[in-house]
Amino acid sequence: MADKRYALIIDSRKCINCKACVVACRAENRVPLGHSRDWIGEEHRGVWPNLSASFEPEQCHHCANPSCVRVCPTGASFQRDDGIVLVQEDDCIGCRYCIIACPYNARFFREDKGLVEKCTFCMQRVRRGETPACVETCPSKVRVFGDIGDATSQLNQILARREYRTRNPQTGNGPQIYYLI
Amino acid sequence: MPSLNRRRFVQIAAAGAAVTTQIGCGRKPSTLGQRAEIPTTCELCPNKCSVIAVVENGLIRKLNPNPENPKSRGMLCARGNAGMLQVYDPDRLKKPLIRAGARGEGKWREATWDEAFDYTAKQLTAIKEKYGPQGVLWSSTEAFAEIFFKNLGLAFGSPNIVRHPTLCLASVNLAYSITFGTVPSFDLLNANYVIMAGANRFEALVTPDTMDLIESTMNRKTRLICLDPRFTVTAAKADEWYPVKPGTDMAFILAMLHVIIGENRHDKEFVTNYTQGFQQLAEHVKQYTPEWAENETEIPAKEIVRIAREFSDAAPRAVFYAGRRSSWYQNDFQMRRAQAILNAVIGNWDKQGGMVPNTKIALGEIMFLPWDDPQAPRVDEMDQRFPLAAKGDGAYLALRENVLAGTPYPVKGWMIAKQDPLNALPDQSKTLKMVEQMDFIGAIDIQMSDTAYYADVVFPESTYLERWDPIEVMSGIWPAVVLRQPAIKPLHDTKPCLEIVQGIAKRLDLGMYFDYTIDQWNEAAAKELPIEMPFEYLKKHGVFTPPGAPTYGATLQPDHRFITASGKIDLYSERIKENGHDPLPVYRPPEQPPANKFRLVIGRKAFYTHANSTNNPWLHEFAPENRLWINPVSAKSAGVAEGDMVEVASRVGSVRLRARVTEEIRPDCVFMLHGFGKRSPALKRVYKRGGSDAVLLETAWDKVSGNAAMHETFVRVWKV
Repeated sequence: MADKRYALIIDSRKCINCKACVVACRAENRVPLGHSRDWIGEEHRGVWPNLSASFEPEQCHHCANPSCVRVCPTGASFQRDDGIVLVQEDDCIGCRYCIIACPYNARFFREDKGLVEKCTFCMQRVRRGETPACVETCPSKVRVFGDIGDATSQLNQILARREYRTRNPQTGNGPQIYYLI
Repeated sequence: MPSLNRRRFVQIAAAGAAVTTQIGCGRKPSTLGQRAEIPTTCELCPNKCSVIAVVENGLIRKLNPNPENPKSRGMLCARGNAGMLQVYDPDRLKKPLIRAGARGEGKWREATWDEAFDYTAKQLTAIKEKYGPQGVLWSSTEAFAEIFFKNLGLAFGSPNIVRHPTLCLASVNLAYSITFGTVPSFDLLNANYVIMAGANRFEALVTPDTMDLIESTMNRKTRLICLDPRFTVTAAKADEWYPVKPGTDMAFILAMLHVIIGENRHDKEFVTNYTQGFQQLAEHVKQYTPEWAENETEIPAKEIVRIAREFSDAAPRAVFYAGRRSSWYQNDFQMRRAQAILNAVIGNWDKQGGMVPNTKIALGEIMFLPWDDPQAPRVDEMDQRFPLAAKGDGAYLALRENVLAGTPYPVKGWMIAKQDPLNALPDQSKTLKMVEQMDFIGAIDIQMSDTAYYADVVFPESTYLERWDPIEVMSGIWPAVVLRQPAIKPLHDTKPCLEIVQGIAKRLDLGMYFDYTIDQWNEAAAKELPIEMPFEYLKKHGVFTPPGAPTYGATLQPDHRFITASGKIDLYSERIKENGHDPLPVYRPPEQPPANKFRLVIGRKAFYTHANSTNNPWLHEFAPENRLWINPVSAKSAGVAEGDMVEVASRVGSVRLRARVTEEIRPDCVFMLHGFGKRSPALKRVYKRGGSDAVLLETAWDKVSGNAAMHETFVRVWKV
């Protein structure tokens, strides 16, 4: 595990806003209704009949330099060596600084537990050698999950030949979701 | 970054694996439980994707896609993921119920299965004695186990079996069958040019076709042309979108034929060798110029010409997609025929990237005692009204008219399986009248649908994750055999369809016709598969697919005879003419809404494609209620603003819902999602929430197939 550094590619052009990833995440991670660890941003533009629409799946960017971790007063928010940013439930005091610090609105406060929750890249699945639920279930295969430290990974092969962008790079967070252009 | 010692990592890993379940009736599984992965088959739509149910300590924890299925591959849509909540729905049917108050009053008493069976058999026998076996109608929708229910109706002696096709794609099936002798698949994965008119494959239903089309359009640059009065997701993803004037698709197709044949762009060799009637077709389409079509469709003539040229240039890897949705107009069969003919003349038949006849896989059959064929003619008079149509499926709306009129004979009993006619059929007030005039209604369902709510006996079926079903063949370009097996034991006092059928059959003295178990049925079915221990293989894998890649061109061999009237592909159809309809598609402009009205167009979101998933909490959150789509220009003239409660009224009913003022619809149309405004309080999230399109839609059907015509309704809209 020490060598790995997980990242995600998202090809938004292929996203059809079908919500399969949202439901798969809810099922896999038992995310309570009213909150989501992943969601699909929609943008609708134009005036009839000159219209366009785009959809962009979003979730935690598992940043290289995560501001949520920096602001956490108890160390509950932390990053594993493989890059996955997590919240250690026992140490979370529910102060929600991290929610404010996250440039991607990827965290939410769980009223029932009094603590903060977020995408874990489905670490329980990844540990078994599976991909995150959102990656696996997607009908149009929008996401590619992989090890950005491994030059031979499918993820790196795609990044080598395709143009991409990251969201809000100016924050200095070093987001690890690569949106293909 | 903070370092992570081993103790801490173990803690976190355990926290991540802990289940704080919201489901399962308060049961909390331990984290160190038995984990099993059971391959089975989804039931949330007709596509039968293969799923793997992850079960821990007897609770379904997650449904994952099963990549072994060559059609669904590694895909499970939103509905497929949410299917597990059917099991844990606190409002699902848990015991047989017998009506205790007035019909539709919602008063029930729980009954034993014996009581429910005895009561039902008594009622059905009384109707049989008074009106004959034809006095009971058996209606069901697509399901693996539908065969058992249908056979019970036939063994009972009723010819009146009515299935879902005339609410769905009967017009498509009939048009392609008459033209090609079979209904093909469209090889979207390999096509280079795809035209979709009305079909909304990126939004309305997520199936292998959706996956294939995304792959081809986004990775291979397949050109996608979309015609739709709404700016759908398919429109948004298409290379070109034309907000066609509703009801004029046929004009667009005929003008394409005009250009392709007029410019000699058709596949001459193919047309000569495999089709008949080309000369009549060439003569017929001369009248349909692109300029004429522009006037009808509002699509510029020069674009029609260009698309026709590009389409024929891309042949045979070009398809005009048949669509998978209900019919729209009373000429739907003829519009689909025009599509079929357009596809035929460019020679895309049975070629890679074109239209491909489905490959089937033969299953074995169990031997059971045959019954005598029903004696009476069908109540919907299929033979006289729709002689070309598939009689076994019936014609639902024509049938309803006759039942209401009591002609040619009374129908007083109604057995319903898995179907919700109150929402599936247009014109709900008529369906309610049909309900009222029944002496007895029995419904088999997993939830208290609107129709079950009006029944006299409700039989709770086990959900698809709790039962065995008959093995099913998925024919197609990539054929597969799929198995549905239980992931868990039934949570409640429910039974699978076969056992419900057997329970009723036994008390009607028809038990001898159903003298087998589901295991015996499946053993016999699997026996023919070309593998060792086939049934065991299916239990282990959930799906079997023959090795090798798809093959093309079997029907292009010289000795092949198309199963049509002429033995060739029938461009001109003598058979259609003999039955009193146009042998070539003749365009007749649809009626247009008057100035103060809008055409109600229907459509779907994949998480709610049918009426039965809107109450699922994991899906309901995406659209808690349906809203009326209305263009800002029209909204302004109707005095309606975003979010206003509006009344929508047709000639047959009215509903109230909120307005969604959006640029994404033509000003002459309004639109709403299906499956809202329910009558059954057990569907609590959508009970009286939003409006039901079934209330508004008027009764109209395609003249050839009997398929319900869903776009023939004009409505008025005003602020409440």
